[in-house]
Amino acid sequence: MLSALALPAYAQLDAAQMAAAREKAQVCFTCHGPNGNSTVGEYPILAQQSWRYIFIELQDFKAGRRADPQMSHMAAQLSTDDMMALGFFFAAQKQLPIQFKVDPAKVEAGRKTADTVLCPMCHLGGFVGQNEIPRVAGQWPQYIKKQLEDFKAKRRTNDAGNMTSVAAGLSDQDIENLAQYIGNLF
Amino acid sequence: MTAHLRLGSAAIALAFGFSASVVAQEVGMSSTTTSTPMSSSLVPVTQAMLDGAAKNANNWVHSNGNYDNSRYYPGRQINARNVTGLAPAFVFQTEVLESMETAPIVVNGVMFLTTSFNHVYAINAATGEEYWHYKHKLGPIVTVCCGNNNRGVAVSEGKLFMGTIDAKLVALDAKTGRLLWSVQIADPNLGYSETMAPVYVDGKVLIGTNGGEYGIRGFVKAFDANDGKLLWTFYTIPEKGHEGVWDPKDATGRDMHRDIAKEKADFAKDSSFYQRLGGGVWMTPAIDQKTRTVFFVVGNPSPDLYGAIRPGDNLYTDSIVAIDLDKGTYKWHFQYIAHDVWDLDAVSAPILTTAKDKNGAVVDVVIHGGKTGHIYVHERNTGKLIRFSEAMIPQENMWVLPTKDGARMLPGANGGVEWSPMAIDPTLHMAYAANLHQPMTYHVEEAPYPGGKLWLGGAFKVIPSEEQWGRLVAVNLDTGKVAWGAKTPQPLIGGVLATAGGIVFNGEANGWFKAFDSKTGKELWKYNCGAGVNAPAVSYMVGGKQYVAVAAGGNNQINAKRGNSVFVFTLVGGGQNVHEEKTVK
Repeated sequence: MLSALALPAYAQLDAAQMAAAREKAQVCFTCHGPNGNSTVGEYPILAQQSWRYIFIELQDFKAGRRADPQMSHMAAQLSTDDMMALGFFFAAQKQLPIQFKVDPAKVEAGRKTADTVLCPMCHLGGFVGQNEIPRVAGQWPQYIKKQLEDFKAKRRTNDAGNMTSVAAGLSDQDIENLAQYIGNLF
Repeated sequence: MTAHLRLGSAAIALAFGFSASVVAQEVGMSSTTTSTPMSSSLVPVTQAMLDGAAKNANNWVHSNGNYDNSRYYPGRQINARNVTGLAPAFVFQTEVLESMETAPIVVNGVMFLTTSFNHVYAINAATGEEYWHYKHKLGPIVTVCCGNNNRGVAVSEGKLFMGTIDAKLVALDAKTGRLLWSVQIADPNLGYSETMAPVYVDGKVLIGTNGGEYGIRGFVKAFDANDGKLLWTFYTIPEKGHEGVWDPKDATGRDMHRDIAKEKADFAKDSSFYQRLGGGVWMTPAIDQKTRTVFFVVGNPSPDLYGAIRPGDNLYTDSIVAIDLDKGTYKWHFQYIAHDVWDLDAVSAPILTTAKDKNGAVVDVVIHGGKTGHIYVHERNTGKLIRFSEAMIPQENMWVLPTKDGARMLPGANGGVEWSPMAIDPTLHMAYAANLHQPMTYHVEEAPYPGGKLWLGGAFKVIPSEEQWGRLVAVNLDTGKVAWGAKTPQPLIGGVLATAGGIVFNGEANGWFKAFDSKTGKELWKYNCGAGVNAPAVSYMVGGKQYVAVAAGGNNQINAKRGNSVFVFTLVGGGQNVHEEKTVK
């Protein structure tokens, strides 16, 4: 691979653009925490997330392909450039570790389930994500659990059938274990 | 489209969607670096030169040799008797170590070649000395299913034309490599991208699009070569009539197990999906100047495997289509697979030639090598199917419908013949096709339109316990019979070159580049390039000497070993005379 191509995408924002993006992101901090480091399990951490994933999810909220009482409304106000800027901004922030009660047995069971259902094939080893596939390492377990439950119940269907297919085969216990395992990866 | 699966277990990745790749680029504008002043031998390529390409052994001015796409080189200095003396004249290394699918263009001893990520090099075609190097600056969004590939440029009147993976068409000054103009063809955020070599004719640049895995609406567009102004667009998915004739059978008469009654009922409820029905065109069209006709093949419907969401024949997906060169209007089409749910679409570039019709009269035909493993021979003026060839690779369990847990069917979703352009020998009425054999299971999964994300509606999975291989096959176009076949240890992707010297050149993923006797399939010569030879070869002359050039950059789709080079061969004495390997029929 070319070294020039290994530059992170947010390198495309200069200092002034980054400052403008931070301004736009202020409203997100209310729920998603300072610089996207959420302190509440209900709201996902956005810091260090793949820019393309954030961009695509915002598009999906706006287009109605993904629904959420708060986000659908928030995204409806955004232009394509806004979404791109927010993606670049959060991708450039450093993710901070979270504090939650870890159950080692569940973490180990979650690790095995992750290998069985081939999560790392797309989310990569360590769940660091790539392009449109989100980084989920160190994400709040409560949020992960809700997303997997929503995929399983087909309440969330903006995944082109990939995650709904995976989640269909997961038990409630599997989901709990995966949430613990992934949340503990940091 | 499609092209997809890597060899081995990596293919399973598609079950979960490896897809849109965002390629961050160097900050700044597109750039050109000059190494040596351009040779004074370079002349602007005229329309007459393009028209006469099939008879000119000095130059290679079309990606597939000529407007017929025949990939038949008229020179015979290198021939079946002396090819054992073929050896490298030089190796040109690019700075991009990634899949190479380029067909170099050669004009009066100057070669223009492309790499992944849309770099273009101009080099001396006899020595390898570099003149200039152009790097395209990619936009923030690049959406490609199957690699950041490029298959080459079109050339005319001192300009080069290239499609880019961020869905632009750019024009460069052939002499300096400077960017002359650039236009956005379509929105990469919706899954559009460009990998094909465009074709230039009479002031127009024609180009299609990738994106059949992303719910695009396919097209062929014509742009003004002077300034990039759009002249016409032919959509491969008509707004009205894409349901077709509700054909229950494929082109060979086999039942495809469609539930036509249910499809009709579903269609009556909603037929508005034409905007995301796919139908990419990502290989170079053939042009018949006599009748002012453009011939191309159209790729798969979106989503690939989940057909319930798109009732009807899904015209003109999986079809060969003829349109008017000047106006871009419909002339005829012939669909191979109506309502495809296997991604066994039409990809390899069509070829214009002649062959016997059913009464034995030699007529103008257009042929296509399918992912199904058949070569189809059509009347050129009407599209009527004259015959289809014997299957070139095993077919089993056709057309079993995909299931949640996977249904096994041969061929796998890569073919048969993938994008690899075929070659013909018009003196023998023979076509040469590079085939894959990759046993797969087909899986379906319900999936609404995901908005520019990879949209397969299921998965193709290779079966790890089953052997994969390739086969270079010669087909007699007058009879449809297989004349000879050469089995290879890996699936074949790249394309074929035939020459008047009685030779067929073909590359393999393991690095071997080989020459075969056109009539018998006997292996005559081979050279190992050290990386996958997954690009079509070209041939030309400089200073009275014939050369054969081929890229060895490996391949993303079958994960063949990557390289960064173009190898150029000529007769320098010596070489290997390899006869020990058996030709398999």
